[in-house]
Amino acid sequence: MKKSSIILIVVVVVIVAIAGLLISGYNGMVSKKEAVDSSLGNLNVMLQRRADLVPNLVNTVKGYTSHEDEVIDKITDARAKLVGASNLEEKSEANNELTNSLNALMVVVENYPDLKSSANFTQLSDELAGTENRIAVARKDYNDAVRTLNTSIKRFPTNILAGMFGFDEAEYFEADEGSQEVPSVNFE
Amino acid sequence: MLISSKKKIIIKVLLIFFIIFNLLPIKSLAIVSPTAEFYVNDYANLLSEETKEYIINTNVSLHNQTGAQIVVVTVENLEGNSLEDYATELFRSFGIGDKSKNNGVLLLLALEEREFRVEVGYGLEGILPDGKTGRIQDEYIIPYLKENNWNDGIKNGFSAILNIVAEEYGVEVNAQAAIAGESKNDFGSYLGIFVIFYFLSDMIGAGMYKVNKKWKIFAIILFGIVAEFLIFVVLKNIFSSTMMTLLCLIIFTISCFSNRRTRGGWYGHGGSSGGFSGGGFSGGGGSSGGGGSSRSF
Repeated sequence: MKKSSIILIVVVVVIVAIAGLLISGYNGMVSKKEAVDSSLGNLNVMLQRRADLVPNLVNTVKGYTSHEDEVIDKITDARAKLVGASNLEEKSEANNELTNSLNALMVVVENYPDLKSSANFTQLSDELAGTENRIAVARKDYNDAVRTLNTSIKRFPTNILAGMFGFDEAEYFEADEGSQEVPSVNFE
Repeated sequence: MLISSKKKIIIKVLLIFFIIFNLLPIKSLAIVSPTAEFYVNDYANLLSEETKEYIINTNVSLHNQTGAQIVVVTVENLEGNSLEDYATELFRSFGIGDKSKNNGVLLLLALEEREFRVEVGYGLEGILPDGKTGRIQDEYIIPYLKENNWNDGIKNGFSAILNIVAEEYGVEVNAQAAIAGESKNDFGSYLGIFVIFYFLSDMIGAGMYKVNKKWKIFAIILFGIVAEFLIFVVLKNIFSSTMMTLLCLIIFTISCFSNRRTRGGWYGHGGSSGGFSGGGFSGGGGSSGGGGSSRSF
Protein backbone atom coordinates (compact mmCIF):
# COMPACT_ATOMS: atom_id res chain seq x y z
CA MET A 1 0.00 0.00 0.00
CA LYS A 2 1.16 3.52 -0.74
CA LYS A 3 2.39 5.64 2.10
CA SER A 4 0.02 8.47 1.18
CA SER A 5 -3.07 6.32 1.53
CA ILE A 6 -2.00 5.12 4.94
CA ILE A 7 -1.59 8.72 6.06
CA LEU A 8 -4.99 9.53 4.61
CA ILE A 9 -6.59 6.70 6.54
CA VAL A 10 -4.93 7.73 9.77
CA VAL A 11 -6.12 11.32 9.29
CA VAL A 12 -9.68 10.18 8.59
CA VAL A 13 -9.67 7.93 11.63
CA VAL A 14 -8.34 10.70 13.86
CA ILE A 15 -10.94 13.18 12.60
CA VAL A 16 -13.75 10.66 13.08
CA ALA A 17 -12.43 9.89 16.56
CA ILE A 18 -12.28 13.55 17.63
CA ALA A 19 -15.71 14.29 16.18
CA GLY A 20 -17.03 11.20 17.91
CA LEU A 21 -15.55 12.32 21.23
CA LEU A 22 -17.11 15.77 20.98
CA ILE A 23 -20.50 14.52 19.91
CA SER A 24 -20.66 11.73 22.46
CA GLY A 25 -19.35 14.10 25.14
CA TYR A 26 -22.16 16.57 24.46
CA ASN A 27 -24.78 13.84 24.12
CA GLY A 28 -23.52 12.31 27.34
CA MET A 29 -24.08 15.59 29.18
CA VAL A 30 -27.56 15.89 27.72
CA SER A 31 -28.55 12.41 28.86
CA LYS A 32 -27.01 12.97 32.29
CA LYS A 33 -29.07 16.15 32.65
CA GLU A 34 -32.11 14.26 31.44
CA ALA A 35 -31.45 11.51 34.02
CA VAL A 36 -31.34 14.13 36.78
CA ASP A 37 -34.62 15.68 35.64
CA SER A 38 -36.47 12.40 35.31
CA SER A 39 -35.25 11.07 38.64
CA LEU A 40 -36.26 14.36 40.26
CA GLY A 41 -39.70 13.96 38.73
CA ASN A 42 -39.88 10.46 40.13
CA LEU A 43 -38.80 11.68 43.56
CA ASN A 44 -41.49 14.38 43.52
CA VAL A 45 -44.14 11.85 42.57
CA MET A 46 -43.14 9.69 45.53
CA LEU A 47 -43.16 12.65 47.94
CA GLN A 48 -46.61 13.60 46.69
CA ARG A 49 -47.75 10.02 47.08
CA ARG A 50 -46.63 10.07 50.68
CA ALA A 51 -48.47 13.32 51.29
CA ASP A 52 -51.61 11.79 49.76
CA LEU A 53 -51.47 8.76 52.03
CA VAL A 54 -51.17 10.74 55.25
CA PRO A 55 -54.80 12.02 55.48
CA ASN A 56 -56.12 8.46 55.13
CA LEU A 57 -53.84 7.29 57.89
CA VAL A 58 -54.75 10.20 60.12
CA ASN A 59 -58.46 9.53 59.67
CA THR A 60 -58.03 5.85 60.48
CA VAL A 61 -56.04 6.70 63.59
CA LYS A 62 -58.66 9.27 64.67
CA GLY A 63 -61.33 6.60 64.42
CA TYR A 64 -59.62 4.46 67.04
CA THR A 65 -58.02 7.00 69.36
CA SER A 66 -58.80 9.99 71.48
CA HIS A 67 -56.59 12.63 73.08
CA GLU A 68 -53.85 12.17 70.53
CA ASP A 69 -54.38 15.54 68.91
CA GLU A 70 -50.84 16.69 69.54
CA VAL A 71 -49.27 13.90 67.51
CA ILE A 72 -51.84 14.20 64.76
CA ASP A 73 -51.46 17.98 64.54
CA LYS A 74 -47.72 17.62 64.06
CA ILE A 75 -48.30 15.19 61.20
CA THR A 76 -50.84 17.47 59.56
CA ASP A 77 -48.48 20.45 59.85
CA ALA A 78 -45.57 18.57 58.37
CA ARG A 79 -47.73 17.32 55.55
CA ALA A 80 -48.93 20.84 54.78
CA LYS A 81 -45.31 22.00 54.69
CA LEU A 82 -44.37 19.20 52.32
CA VAL A 83 -47.20 20.00 49.95
CA GLY A 84 -46.42 23.73 50.09
CA ALA A 85 -42.67 23.39 49.71
CA SER A 86 -41.35 25.19 46.66
CA ASN A 87 -37.73 24.12 46.49
CA LEU A 88 -35.76 20.99 47.07
CA GLU A 89 -34.36 22.07 50.41
CA GLU A 90 -37.78 22.89 51.85
CA LYS A 91 -39.11 19.61 50.55
CA SER A 92 -36.39 17.57 52.15
CA GLU A 93 -36.85 19.44 55.44
CA ALA A 94 -40.61 18.95 55.44
CA ASN A 95 -40.17 15.33 54.46
CA ASN A 96 -37.84 14.74 57.38
CA GLU A 97 -40.30 16.46 59.72
CA LEU A 98 -43.07 14.23 58.44
CA THR A 99 -40.92 11.17 59.03
CA ASN A 100 -40.28 12.18 62.62
CA SER A 101 -43.92 12.92 63.36
CA LEU A 102 -45.02 9.63 61.78
CA ASN A 103 -42.48 7.78 63.88
CA ALA A 104 -43.98 9.45 66.94
CA LEU A 105 -47.41 8.24 65.80
CA MET A 106 -46.18 4.66 65.45
CA VAL A 107 -45.11 4.77 69.09
CA VAL A 108 -48.54 6.02 70.15
CA VAL A 109 -50.25 3.31 68.10
CA GLU A 110 -48.68 0.68 70.37
CA ASN A 111 -51.25 1.70 72.99
CA TYR A 112 -54.18 0.84 70.75
CA PRO A 113 -54.18 -2.91 69.95
CA ASP A 114 -57.47 -2.66 68.08
CA LEU A 115 -56.07 -0.03 65.75
CA LYS A 116 -52.85 -1.90 65.27
CA SER A 117 -54.56 -5.11 64.28
CA SER A 118 -57.18 -3.53 62.04
CA ALA A 119 -56.93 -4.50 58.37
CA ASN A 120 -57.24 -0.90 57.25
CA PHE A 121 -54.38 0.30 59.39
CA THR A 122 -52.22 -2.64 58.34
CA GLN A 123 -52.75 -1.84 54.70
CA LEU A 124 -52.12 1.88 55.16
CA SER A 125 -48.98 1.20 57.14
CA ASP A 126 -47.74 -1.09 54.37
CA GLU A 127 -48.49 1.54 51.74
CA LEU A 128 -46.77 4.20 53.78
CA ALA A 129 -43.73 2.06 54.54
CA GLY A 130 -43.57 1.10 50.85
CA THR A 131 -43.76 4.74 49.82
CA GLU A 132 -41.08 5.70 52.30
CA ASN A 133 -38.85 3.00 50.86
CA ARG A 134 -39.65 4.27 47.35
CA ILE A 135 -38.65 7.77 48.46
CA ALA A 136 -35.38 6.35 49.80
CA VAL A 137 -34.74 4.59 46.48
CA ALA A 138 -35.80 7.60 44.42
CA ARG A 139 -33.58 9.88 46.53
CA LYS A 140 -30.62 7.58 46.03
CA ASP A 141 -31.27 7.40 42.28
CA TYR A 142 -31.61 11.18 42.10
CA ASN A 143 -28.44 11.82 44.08
CA ASP A 144 -26.57 9.28 41.95
CA ALA A 145 -27.74 11.06 38.80
CA VAL A 146 -26.74 14.43 40.27
CA ARG A 147 -23.33 13.08 41.21
CA THR A 148 -22.77 11.76 37.69
CA LEU A 149 -23.77 15.08 36.13
CA ASN A 150 -21.82 17.23 38.55
CA THR A 151 -18.72 15.09 38.15
CA SER A 152 -18.73 15.41 34.39
CA ILE A 153 -19.33 19.16 34.67
CA LYS A 154 -16.21 19.44 36.80
CA ARG A 155 -13.99 16.97 34.98
CA PHE A 156 -11.83 17.47 31.93
CA PRO A 157 -12.60 17.46 29.02
CA THR A 158 -16.37 17.59 29.50
CA ASN A 159 -16.03 20.71 31.70
CA ILE A 160 -15.19 22.66 28.53
CA LEU A 161 -18.38 21.44 26.85
CA ALA A 162 -20.34 22.19 30.02
CA GLY A 163 -19.04 25.77 29.97
CA MET A 164 -19.76 26.17 26.28
CA PHE A 165 -23.32 24.88 26.40
CA GLY A 166 -24.25 26.15 29.86
CA PHE A 167 -24.77 22.97 31.86
CA ASP A 168 -25.21 23.82 35.55
CA GLU A 169 -24.57 21.65 38.55
CA ALA A 170 -27.65 20.14 40.15
CA GLU A 171 -28.57 20.20 43.82
CA TYR A 172 -28.52 17.09 46.05
CA PHE A 173 -31.55 15.95 47.97
CA GLU A 174 -30.32 15.62 51.53
CA ALA A 175 -31.78 13.34 54.14
CA ASP A 176 -31.12 13.50 57.82
CA GLU A 177 -29.70 10.41 59.45
CA GLY A 178 -32.96 9.43 61.13
CA SER A 179 -34.98 9.25 57.95
CA GLN A 180 -32.62 6.69 56.46
CA GLU A 181 -34.41 4.17 58.59
CA VAL A 182 -37.54 2.94 56.91
CA PRO A 183 -40.04 2.14 59.65
CA SER A 184 -41.07 -1.47 59.22
CA VAL A 185 -44.37 -2.84 60.36
CA ASN A 186 -43.98 -5.63 62.83
CA PHE A 187 -47.02 -7.69 63.76
CA GLU A 188 -46.37 -10.05 66.56
CA MET B 1 -2.57 -21.90 12.08
CA LEU B 2 -1.06 -18.55 11.42
CA ILE B 3 -1.42 -15.88 14.02
CA SER B 4 1.39 -13.41 14.09
CA SER B 5 2.86 -12.41 17.41
CA LYS B 6 1.71 -8.84 16.80
CA LYS B 7 -1.87 -9.99 16.59
CA LYS B 8 -1.51 -12.05 19.69
CA ILE B 9 -0.37 -8.95 21.52
CA ILE B 10 -3.32 -6.97 20.18
CA ILE B 11 -5.73 -9.67 21.33
CA LYS B 12 -4.11 -9.73 24.74
CA VAL B 13 -4.23 -5.96 25.13
CA LEU B 14 -7.89 -5.89 24.11
CA LEU B 15 -8.79 -8.66 26.52
CA ILE B 16 -6.97 -6.96 29.37
CA PHE B 17 -8.79 -3.68 28.70
CA PHE B 18 -12.06 -5.55 28.40
CA ILE B 19 -11.57 -7.25 31.75
CA ILE B 20 -10.43 -4.08 33.51
CA PHE B 21 -13.35 -2.03 32.26
CA ASN B 22 -15.83 -4.69 33.22
CA LEU B 23 -14.46 -4.97 36.73
CA LEU B 24 -14.30 -1.22 37.36
CA PRO B 25 -17.86 -0.50 38.49
CA ILE B 26 -17.73 -1.76 42.05
CA LYS B 27 -21.03 -2.70 43.57
CA SER B 28 -22.03 -0.47 46.46
CA LEU B 29 -23.56 -3.36 48.39
CA ALA B 30 -22.17 -6.82 48.77
CA ILE B 31 -25.05 -8.85 47.46
CA VAL B 32 -25.26 -12.40 46.20
CA SER B 33 -25.12 -13.04 42.47
CA PRO B 34 -27.72 -15.11 40.66
CA THR B 35 -27.20 -18.85 40.30
CA ALA B 36 -27.64 -20.63 36.97
CA GLU B 37 -31.14 -21.53 38.09
CA PHE B 38 -31.87 -17.79 38.50
CA TYR B 39 -35.48 -18.23 39.60
CA VAL B 40 -34.42 -19.95 42.83
CA ASN B 41 -31.30 -18.87 44.64
CA ASP B 42 -31.33 -20.84 47.85
CA TYR B 43 -28.18 -19.55 49.50
CA ALA B 44 -29.46 -20.41 52.97
CA ASN B 45 -30.21 -24.03 51.97
CA LEU B 46 -33.81 -24.03 53.14
CA LEU B 47 -35.74 -25.32 50.16
CA SER B 48 -36.41 -28.84 48.93
CA GLU B 49 -35.73 -29.96 45.36
CA GLU B 50 -39.47 -30.25 44.83
CA THR B 51 -40.08 -26.62 45.77
CA LYS B 52 -37.23 -25.45 43.59
CA GLU B 53 -38.45 -27.44 40.63
CA TYR B 54 -41.94 -26.07 41.04
CA ILE B 55 -40.68 -22.49 41.14
CA ILE B 56 -38.42 -22.93 38.12
CA ASN B 57 -40.95 -24.76 35.97
CA THR B 58 -43.82 -22.37 36.63
CA ASN B 59 -41.51 -19.44 36.04
CA VAL B 60 -40.44 -20.78 32.66
CA SER B 61 -44.06 -21.04 31.63
CA LEU B 62 -44.88 -17.58 32.99
CA HIS B 63 -41.84 -15.97 31.45
CA ASN B 64 -42.43 -17.48 28.01
CA GLN B 65 -45.97 -16.13 27.95
CA THR B 66 -45.61 -12.77 29.64
CA GLY B 67 -41.94 -11.89 30.24
CA ALA B 68 -42.72 -11.67 33.95
CA GLN B 69 -40.38 -13.30 36.46
CA ILE B 70 -40.93 -14.18 40.12
CA VAL B 71 -37.59 -14.84 41.75
CA VAL B 72 -37.03 -16.43 45.15
CA VAL B 73 -33.83 -15.71 47.06
CA THR B 74 -32.88 -16.96 50.50
CA VAL B 75 -29.73 -15.66 52.18
CA GLU B 76 -27.99 -16.52 55.43
CA ASN B 77 -27.81 -12.86 56.42
CA LEU B 78 -27.91 -9.36 54.95
CA GLU B 79 -24.29 -8.55 55.80
CA GLY B 80 -25.34 -5.54 57.83
CA ASN B 81 -27.56 -3.96 55.17
CA SER B 82 -31.18 -3.11 55.68
CA LEU B 83 -33.64 -5.54 54.15
CA GLU B 84 -35.06 -2.88 51.86
CA ASP B 85 -31.70 -1.70 50.52
CA TYR B 86 -30.58 -5.25 49.98
CA ALA B 87 -33.78 -6.22 48.17
CA THR B 88 -33.76 -3.25 45.79
CA GLU B 89 -30.06 -3.68 45.00
CA LEU B 90 -30.54 -7.38 44.40
CA PHE B 91 -33.64 -6.81 42.29
CA ARG B 92 -31.83 -4.39 40.04
CA SER B 93 -28.61 -6.34 39.73
CA PHE B 94 -30.53 -9.52 38.87
CA GLY B 95 -32.67 -7.53 36.45
CA ILE B 96 -35.87 -9.32 37.41
CA GLY B 97 -38.67 -9.07 34.89
CA ASP B 98 -38.80 -7.71 31.37
CA LYS B 99 -36.69 -4.64 30.73
CA SER B 100 -39.48 -2.51 29.28
CA LYS B 101 -42.38 -3.96 31.27
CA ASN B 102 -40.49 -4.13 34.60
CA ASN B 103 -42.78 -6.97 35.57
CA GLY B 104 -40.64 -8.76 38.13
CA VAL B 105 -41.27 -9.82 41.71
CA LEU B 106 -38.63 -10.73 44.28
CA LEU B 107 -39.25 -12.86 47.35
CA LEU B 108 -36.32 -12.40 49.70
CA LEU B 109 -35.78 -14.32 52.93
CA ALA B 110 -33.01 -13.38 55.35
CA LEU B 111 -32.51 -16.25 57.77
CA GLU B 112 -30.47 -14.70 60.62
CA GLU B 113 -32.47 -11.48 60.68
CA ARG B 114 -35.69 -13.51 60.32
CA GLU B 115 -37.07 -11.03 57.83
CA PHE B 116 -39.00 -11.49 54.64
CA ARG B 117 -39.66 -9.03 51.84
CA VAL B 118 -41.76 -9.04 48.72
CA GLU B 119 -40.33 -6.48 46.31
CA VAL B 120 -42.38 -5.56 43.26
CA GLY B 121 -41.13 -4.12 39.97
CA TYR B 122 -42.59 -0.86 38.65
CA GLY B 123 -44.77 -2.67 36.13
CA LEU B 124 -46.62 -4.83 38.64
CA GLU B 125 -47.19 -2.21 41.34
CA GLY B 126 -50.70 -1.73 39.99
CA ILE B 127 -51.83 -5.29 40.66
CA LEU B 128 -49.52 -5.86 43.62
CA PRO B 129 -49.72 -2.70 45.73
CA ASP B 130 -47.78 -2.67 48.99
CA GLY B 131 -50.86 -3.34 51.08
CA LYS B 132 -51.65 -6.44 49.06
CA THR B 133 -48.13 -7.84 49.28
CA GLY B 134 -48.30 -7.27 53.04
CA ARG B 135 -51.58 -9.16 53.22
CA ILE B 136 -50.20 -12.03 51.14
CA GLN B 137 -47.29 -12.30 53.53
CA ASP B 138 -49.51 -12.22 56.62
CA GLU B 139 -51.85 -14.80 55.15
CA TYR B 140 -49.70 -17.22 53.17
CA ILE B 141 -46.08 -16.84 54.18
CA ILE B 142 -45.36 -15.53 57.65
CA PRO B 143 -47.45 -18.10 59.62
CA TYR B 144 -45.36 -20.90 58.08
CA LEU B 145 -42.05 -19.12 58.43
CA LYS B 146 -42.74 -18.60 62.14
CA GLU B 147 -42.72 -22.40 62.48
CA ASN B 148 -39.59 -22.67 60.34
CA ASN B 149 -41.67 -24.34 57.65
CA TRP B 150 -39.75 -22.72 54.83
CA ASN B 151 -40.98 -24.84 51.94
CA ASP B 152 -44.70 -24.41 52.56
CA GLY B 153 -44.37 -20.71 53.35
CA ILE B 154 -42.43 -19.85 50.23
CA LYS B 155 -44.38 -22.19 47.97
CA ASN B 156 -47.69 -20.79 49.22
CA GLY B 157 -46.65 -17.19 48.88
CA PHE B 158 -45.07 -17.81 45.52
CA SER B 159 -48.27 -19.48 44.24
CA ALA B 160 -50.44 -16.65 45.53
CA ILE B 161 -48.33 -14.05 43.73
CA LEU B 162 -48.03 -16.22 40.63
CA ASN B 163 -51.83 -16.53 40.43
CA ILE B 164 -52.30 -12.77 40.69
CA VAL B 165 -49.74 -12.10 37.96
CA ALA B 166 -51.05 -14.87 35.69
CA GLU B 167 -54.61 -13.63 36.14
CA GLU B 168 -53.59 -10.09 35.25
CA TYR B 169 -52.07 -11.26 31.98
CA GLY B 170 -54.89 -13.73 31.35
CA VAL B 171 -52.56 -16.67 30.94
CA GLU B 172 -52.52 -20.16 32.34
CA VAL B 173 -49.30 -21.23 33.95
CA ASN B 174 -48.50 -24.90 33.89
CA ALA B 175 -45.35 -26.31 35.32
CA GLN B 176 -43.62 -27.42 32.17
CA ALA B 177 -40.20 -28.98 32.17
CA ALA B 178 -37.51 -26.38 32.16
CA ILE B 179 -35.37 -26.18 29.08
CA ALA B 180 -32.21 -24.28 29.79
CA GLY B 181 -31.79 -22.62 26.47
CA GLU B 182 -31.76 -18.92 27.05
CA SER B 183 -28.51 -17.31 26.13
CA LYS B 184 -26.86 -15.28 28.80
CA ASN B 185 -25.39 -11.91 28.16
CA ASP B 186 -22.17 -12.92 29.80
CA PHE B 187 -18.50 -12.99 29.07
CA GLY B 188 -18.94 -15.80 26.54
CA SER B 189 -21.24 -13.85 24.26
CA TYR B 190 -19.02 -10.77 24.53
CA LEU B 191 -16.07 -12.88 23.46
CA GLY B 192 -18.20 -14.17 20.59
CA ILE B 193 -18.87 -10.63 19.39
CA PHE B 194 -15.23 -9.81 19.79
CA VAL B 195 -14.19 -12.76 17.63
CA ILE B 196 -16.74 -11.83 14.95
CA PHE B 197 -15.36 -8.32 14.77
CA TYR B 198 -11.86 -9.60 14.70
CA PHE B 199 -12.69 -11.67 11.64
CA LEU B 200 -14.62 -8.78 10.12
CA SER B 201 -11.69 -6.44 10.49
CA ASP B 202 -9.48 -9.03 8.87
CA MET B 203 -11.86 -9.48 5.97
CA ILE B 204 -12.04 -5.75 5.36
CA GLY B 205 -8.29 -5.56 5.41
CA ALA B 206 -7.95 -8.54 3.11
CA GLY B 207 -10.67 -7.27 0.77
CA MET B 208 -8.81 -4.05 0.22
CA TYR B 209 -5.93 -5.87 -1.40
CA LYS B 210 -8.15 -7.44 -3.99
CA VAL B 211 -9.80 -4.23 -5.17
CA ASN B 212 -8.53 -2.62 -8.36
CA LYS B 213 -5.80 -0.10 -7.66
CA LYS B 214 -7.78 2.82 -9.07
CA TRP B 215 -10.55 2.38 -6.58
CA LYS B 216 -8.37 1.26 -3.76
CA ILE B 217 -8.23 4.45 -1.74
CA PHE B 218 -11.90 5.19 -2.29
CA ALA B 219 -12.84 1.66 -1.29
CA ILE B 220 -10.62 1.75 1.76
CA ILE B 221 -12.12 4.99 3.02
CA LEU B 222 -15.69 3.87 2.34
CA PHE B 223 -15.15 0.45 3.88
CA GLY B 224 -13.30 2.04 6.71
CA ILE B 225 -15.95 4.59 7.62
CA VAL B 226 -18.85 2.16 7.37
CA ALA B 227 -17.06 -0.57 9.28
CA GLU B 228 -15.70 1.79 11.92
CA PHE B 229 -19.16 3.25 12.45
CA LEU B 230 -20.75 -0.17 12.87
CA ILE B 231 -18.01 -1.33 15.17
CA PHE B 232 -18.28 1.89 17.17
CA VAL B 233 -22.01 1.46 17.72
CA VAL B 234 -21.67 -2.13 18.87
CA LEU B 235 -18.60 -1.53 21.01
CA LYS B 236 -20.29 1.46 22.64
CA ASN B 237 -23.09 -0.83 23.74
CA ILE B 238 -20.66 -3.35 25.12
CA PHE B 239 -18.32 -1.02 26.95
CA SER B 240 -20.68 1.92 27.57
CA SER B 241 -17.57 4.05 27.74
CA THR B 242 -16.61 6.32 24.88
CA MET B 243 -12.89 6.45 25.58
CA MET B 244 -12.65 2.68 25.74
CA THR B 245 -14.65 2.32 22.54
CA LEU B 246 -12.41 4.70 20.65
CA LEU B 247 -9.32 2.97 21.94
CA CYS B 248 -10.60 -0.39 20.77
CA LEU B 249 -11.59 1.14 17.46
CA ILE B 250 -8.12 2.47 16.86
CA ILE B 251 -6.57 -0.86 17.78
CA PHE B 252 -8.96 -2.59 15.41
CA THR B 253 -8.03 -0.18 12.66
CA ILE B 254 -4.37 -0.74 13.20
CA SER B 255 -4.88 -4.49 13.26
CA CYS B 256 -6.73 -4.13 9.98
CA PHE B 257 -3.72 -2.74 8.22
CA SER B 258 -0.89 -4.37 10.03
CA ASN B 259 0.84 -7.44 8.61
CA ARG B 260 -0.50 -6.80 5.15
CA ARG B 261 2.59 -5.72 3.32
CA THR B 262 3.96 -9.18 2.96
CA ARG B 263 0.78 -11.10 2.35
CA GLY B 264 -1.42 -11.17 -0.69
CA GLY B 265 -4.79 -11.40 0.89
CA TRP B 266 -7.04 -13.38 3.14
CA TYR B 267 -5.42 -16.05 5.18
CA GLY B 268 -6.77 -18.60 7.52
CA HIS B 269 -7.34 -18.05 11.17
CA GLY B 270 -7.18 -20.54 13.90
CA GLY B 271 -7.21 -20.63 17.61
CA SER B 272 -9.66 -18.71 19.66
CA SER B 273 -13.33 -19.37 19.40
CA GLY B 274 -15.85 -17.65 21.59
CA GLY B 275 -19.07 -18.75 23.12
CA PHE B 276 -18.78 -20.63 26.31
CA SER B 277 -22.09 -19.23 27.37
CA GLY B 278 -23.45 -21.67 29.89
CA GLY B 279 -27.08 -22.73 29.95
CA GLY B 280 -29.48 -21.58 32.59
CA PHE B 281 -31.75 -18.59 32.98
CA SER B 282 -31.16 -14.94 33.49
CA GLY B 283 -32.99 -11.74 34.24
CA GLY B 284 -34.70 -9.69 31.57
CA GLY B 285 -33.28 -6.41 32.89
CA GLY B 286 -36.31 -5.28 34.88
CA SER B 287 -36.04 -2.70 37.65
CA SER B 288 -37.76 -1.84 40.88
CA GLY B 289 -38.37 1.45 42.61
CA GLY B 290 -38.52 -0.05 46.07
CA GLY B 291 -42.19 -1.04 46.08
CA GLY B 292 -43.36 -3.92 48.21
CA SER B 293 -43.53 -4.72 51.88
CA SER B 294 -41.40 -6.22 54.63
CA ARG B 295 -42.18 -8.47 57.58
CA SER B 296 -40.36 -10.01 60.46
CA PHE B 297 -41.11 -13.58 61.43
